[in-house]
Order: sequence, then structure tokens, then C-alpha cells
Amino acid sequence: MSREYEAVYIFDSALEDTAIAEKLEKHHALLGTKDPITLDTWGRRQLAYKIGSKETGYYVVARFKAEGKVLPEFERSLKLDDSVIRYLISVHEHELGAPPMTEEQLAARRARDGDDDDDEE
Amino acid sequence: MRRQKKTCPVTEAGIRFIDYKDERFLSRFITDTGKVLPSRLSGVDARHQRQLAKAIKKARYLALLPYTRSQSAQ
Repeated sequence: MSREYEAVYIFDSALEDTAIAEKLEKHHALLGTKDPITLDTWGRRQLAYKIGSKETGYYVVARFKAEGKVLPEFERSLKLDDSVIRYLISVHEHELGAPPMTEEQLAARRARDGDDDDDEE
Repeated sequence: MRRQKKTCPVTEAGIRFIDYKDERFLSRFITDTGKVLPSRLSGVDARHQRQLAKAIKKARYLALLPYTRSQSAQ
């Protein structure tokens, strides 16, 4: 079964942008997906804490559809890649069902909840 | 005397899904030292508190949020 996944990679910030793009392509080739992979490149940013001796990392978020069985090999290649400081692959969870409530609905709900409180007291 | 019921700040913000990548939002729910802020202080409802805790833990792994931060250093 194919699922939508989201992966966040932290690359060594000393790497050139082109080198990172190249590496990403190499890793993503292992997924064997036909659907386009959505990339969101955050670029270099400060890490909240040091990882090893590194204080900055190059963040990339990727969203893709893949078969679960290709993931172990994909993860292995990430693990072996020294330029990837850290990665996190998770099932892409997004908004499901009803759209967010509008301001009016929120206000109405607040008013209703307020009424409930009065009843209890 | 009953304490005034706080409205859940997550519901209030109209957020349906808590994103672990949004460290600006998550940082509102951690203490100065980096702990998860208890819902009794933040007023977050139970469902969102569970989602928050998970999101904060993911964000910590990705070095978006600190695991801990010493009080004296800040």
C-alpha cells in the first residue's frame, strides 16, 4: 500500500547547495515513485543544540508517496550518508475532515461553552 | 469557588493539526528550561495536549527545540 510520507533531513551546512540537491536526488531515486516529490528547502539554520560539533544545519522537508517496503532501503542509504546529520521520516499527517472553524463559529462555540459553565454553577 | 475555565489556545488559534515543524508555535508550550508546559497552566485541552507533546518531542529530535536549556545561560 502506498502512503504519503514526510521526511525532514538535516544536512551538513558546510555542503554546497548543489551537492545537497544532488544527494537528495540520489536518495529519492531509491523510493521509486512516479509522483513528484514536494521539496521545501529551509536552508541553513541554527540548531537548537549542538549535534556533535555542528551548530548549524541545512534543513530540507520532502513529501512523497511511497510503498512502505521501499523505506528500509531508503533509510539505510540516509543512515550511511555522513552528510546527513539527522533525518526523520513520518507518515504525513495533515488536516482531515472538516475545515477549520471560522471566527463566527468559534465565537458561537465559546458563547455556548460559556452557557454550559453557568448551568453547572 | 471554581477556577475560571480557560479556553484551549490551540482550538482558539483554529489549528486542526499540530505541526511538529512549527517551532515558533510549539515554543509557546514549553517552559524556559525546555520542559513541556503542563496543560493545567496553558489551558490546552487533553486531545491537543497529547498532540503537542508528540510534536514537541519530534521537534526536539530535529533540533528545532532544545531538550533542555540552562536557566543561567539565557
